Amino acid sequence: MEQPRRITDSFPRRRRRGPGRPPGRLKDKSKKEKDKDKVQVKVREGPRAPSQPPPDPALLEMLRRFDLSWEYGPCTGKHPRLSRLSRWPGLPPAPLSPRYPAGITRLQRWERAQELGLSPPGPIRDALLEHRDNPDVTYRWVWGGVRW
Amino acid sequence: MFSEQAAPLAQGLLAPPSAEPPTFPRVPVSGYSDCSQPFQLGERGFSRQYAHIYAVRLAGMRPGLERRARSRWGNDIALRKLSELQAGEKCCVVGTLFKSMQLQPSILQEISEEHNLVPQPPLPKYIQPSDELILEDELQRIKLEGAIDVQRLVTGTILAVYGCEQDDGRFLVEDHCFADLPPALPWNGPSSDRFVLLASGLGLGSVSGEALLSTQLLVDVVTGQLGAEGEQSCAAHITRVILAGNLLSQNTQSRDTINKAKYLTKKTQAASVEAVKMLDEILLQLCTSVPVDVMPGEFDPTNYTLPQQPLHRCMLPLASAYATLRLVTNPYQASLDGVRFLGTSGQNISDIFKYSSMDNYLEILEWTLLAGHISPTAPDTLGCYPFYKSDPFILTECPHVYFCGNAPHFQSKLLQGKEGQRVLLVTVPDFSATQTACLVNLRDLTCQPITFSGFGADSED
Repeated sequence: MEQPRRITDSFPRRRRRGPGRPPGRLKDKSKKEKDKDKVQVKVREGPRAPSQPPPDPALLEMLRRFDLSWEYGPCTGKHPRLSRLSRWPGLPPAPLSPRYPAGITRLQRWERAQELGLSPPGPIRDALLEHRDNPDVTYRWVWGGVRW
Repeated sequence: MFSEQAAPLAQGLLAPPSAEPPTFPRVPVSGYSDCSQPFQLGERGFSRQYAHIYAVRLAGMRPGLERRARSRWGNDIALRKLSELQAGEKCCVVGTLFKSMQLQPSILQEISEEHNLVPQPPLPKYIQPSDELILEDELQRIKLEGAIDVQRLVTGTILAVYGCEQDDGRFLVEDHCFADLPPALPWNGPSSDRFVLLASGLGLGSVSGEALLSTQLLVDVVTGQLGAEGEQSCAAHITRVILAGNLLSQNTQSRDTINKAKYLTKKTQAASVEAVKMLDEILLQLCTSVPVDVMPGEFDPTNYTLPQQPLHRCMLPLASAYATLRLVTNPYQASLDGVRFLGTSGQNISDIFKYSSMDNYLEILEWTLLAGHISPTAPDTLGCYPFYKSDPFILTECPHVYFCGNAPHFQSKLLQGKEGQRVLLVTVPDFSATQTACLVNLRDLTCQPITFSGFGADSED
């Protein structure tokens, strides 16, 4: 009887670190967030660059109007910080996955509107690229400006 | 066609063996290009909602539909959005169709414990006379009535309706139109006979092995090991084999490991493992001789949502050593010898079959081509990936051969469009049930079925 073929004959086993982070790290990050009040917190991990000046409310208002205008298509999707923290205090926060954002970013919505020929306003794109590290700018506006 | 060419050379079997046996080199592969990049997904994230795909579908098809509406009902018709409608004014509206069906399986009804409902058993058709059509555009929706066939249409179709709004808030339709055939592609077909073999529904791993002899006969015909010199020289003109889905049988999808107790299922192997090994051996025989394109289907080990990603090559270690094996997506689009092929494994057609009064698979296939969308019912009743940038199922160019797999019968039709489009529509039958495959001649876009049958248990010897 011949030896049964295994997948590992063709594809050798390799040890690789999984895509998830160890849980301890996540807890530390959420604690740091509660401590800081108004300082901007970057969504992605990595070395923390010096924090940029917060965008002025007029810019945020312009972006909010861009979100709410129906001509450029639907704008669904939760703010990644909101989607991480759960609504019910007993449950643990949902793991943050920067590769699979909830919904689409404002820049993706702008570019889609551009490709479909809906002529979205140019200053919005410049503002989005300028403040691309700020999650409040890249994602959808937060209800009533509540900060968690 | 195939057998007519073979017949004159059939005397070869009655001659004494010659010193040098004749060889028939297969026609060389020329001009293959894979055009299914829009269906290949890289990293997939499912946390998006499906509003985006409907919005881009409408935005993408709206310009074409407005042009069609103007050419059909006059250049000066009023194109209105639903929010701009005035009662009694004749105008044209472009929007997405939604058919509200009472019998449509709804997950909310199934889990509603207050009603104590038993989940609805799967029905062949979910249509009922009480179904209603609703037209939706970006902001509003309106009920449709009038000269529109409610039973025939399905949710997700983009169409233009011409009529006026009534006082009761419904839209009275006088006429409607679809996107119609997309613009034609230039024809660069071969000048000599070249055949492509289309087969689907091999159904390996099923309980009864009756179709296995037919599958082996198919492989032998294609590789030239069957028949006399006549058949062999014809088989040498087959340039490609496309297997359109359902390579594994539905029996391999047993959910015993979920339903039964753990001690009963601990050492059992999934039925698909043996079936994939059999598929590997069959593909090995084919790949040594002819390029093969393998599309996944409903029962194959790949993802469920459309577009289905190619089978992984680690499942087919023997066959994937050959460069002639191509594992492709479902739906599949490619240009073979200058002829554009587009086809699916049949899930889109059978889904429309369930929710529409159309009974004929060829009729549904033709209707999807005229509606300008491969699968309008996705994502409503057929699983679909949440696209947000563009809908890859919108037909932008008219293919030369448009096929669907796993149909109950073989049917083919050559459709001529007004702008010079020529499309060969082929419904590829389920091989495990009908033992029939299709041979498409690329030179003149004709198709003929080829049936393999052995002696069954109930036939006399």
